[in-house]
Amino acid sequence: MDCPTCEAMVGAYVDGELSVAESAEFERALEACPDCRRRLEETRMVSGLLRDLPADPAPDLLRAKVERELRAIAGRPRPYPRQHLRWMATAASLIVALGIGWTGATLVSQSGRETDALMAGYLRIAMSDHPVEVASSDRHTVKPWFAGRIDYAPPVHDLTTAGFPLVGGRLDIVDGRKVAVMVYRRNRHWIALTAWPATSAGDAAASVAQRDGFALGDWRHGGFELRAVGDLAPADMKSFVTALDRAVDSDR
Amino acid sequence: MSDAPKPDAGTVDRFRTVMLPHLDAAYGYARWLTRDPVQAQDVAQEAMLRALRYFHAFRGEDAKPWLLRIVRNTWLDLARRHAAEKVPLEEIEDRAGDGLDPEQSALAGDRRRQIAAALAALPAEAREVLVLREIEDLSYKRIAVVLDLPIGTVMSRLARAREKLAAGLRGHLERRGHGLPDM
Repeated sequence: MDCPTCEAMVGAYVDGELSVAESAEFERALEACPDCRRRLEETRMVSGLLRDLPADPAPDLLRAKVERELRAIAGRPRPYPRQHLRWMATAASLIVALGIGWTGATLVSQSGRETDALMAGYLRIAMSDHPVEVASSDRHTVKPWFAGRIDYAPPVHDLTTAGFPLVGGRLDIVDGRKVAVMVYRRNRHWIALTAWPATSAGDAAASVAQRDGFALGDWRHGGFELRAVGDLAPADMKSFVTALDRAVDSDR
Repeated sequence: MSDAPKPDAGTVDRFRTVMLPHLDAAYGYARWLTRDPVQAQDVAQEAMLRALRYFHAFRGEDAKPWLLRIVRNTWLDLARRHAAEKVPLEEIEDRAGDGLDPEQSALAGDRRRQIAAALAALPAEAREVLVLREIEDLSYKRIAVVLDLPIGTVMSRLARAREKLAAGLRGHLERRGHGLPDM
């Protein structure tokens, strides 16, 4: 066998794509060809290294989204209790995964419980067919809705011009306290912004952390503690923070 | 697209059995194509929906390459859409390294991280054929289905991709002063 042929067969040999006869022929040719022996070693090594990379399974959130679409298309009556349980299981496993893997995020160091509550709240929004309790992109509809339901007036701003249309609002519980959650969209991604009155004075610049395709923003601005969770890139989360801060400032 | 029959509950059930087990593969492939975990989820989700829409055309052949081909087309469409929005394709293409979440790979060894980085730095054509072969463990025949290429072309692309990766790794590891002895 001449070398170009031998060379062309190295990959197929490593990949188990040669017939028994071809393999035998290749092995014989190999003895006479040091270049192809080196090539064989290199191919085996590259293959081994790639196969050694850790598996990267589909995130639970993706699985849940696909499941939701399938259920919606199948047009089945929704089996509420079971489905609810499954979401809770998904949420729980995500929280465990996020909680354990979270490094460098100020949220965890501050309060793991708070992060858990925010993540669970986010999942309720992202996976629900009714993500908000008041659905409107008009702040003059959303803001008054909170009156009488909560003991402060949260910052409600439509950020459509910055690419984050307001979807609406809802209530949630974080650390045993009722809080206002404003829900935004970025293309097909959701952002849940939780706001409550700050106890310390002054603004604190946002820290944005990423994990498993989620971005978390944590900052203080205009007298509010602000936490944003979304399944989007950290850069998008930073734009969201900037857009919100600007809107809050222009309102003062 | 519009002439596709709307999938009924039975179709969805069959889809669940046949295609859903390959969601990990769909995401994994999308992850290496986009090199971005957020975009990869978009691509995989959109691809699953497309696959369901076209499921009536699925004739019981090999499900995994059939699905991965849709993942690939979805990714190409997304890249084209970005191009139409005046985001140059190189911007999508040239985000090598970006795709690797350093915190996530902190669990893996330094060496694994370098290999992942070297793979991510390859051009898409080389990257995807390596991913399909070594990570998704597809035969040449199945890779040919995903990429819609003759098997001979798959073989030559794979050979070139391996050489590129080996060269990239050599550079990487030598710079760090612990070269691979046999490479």
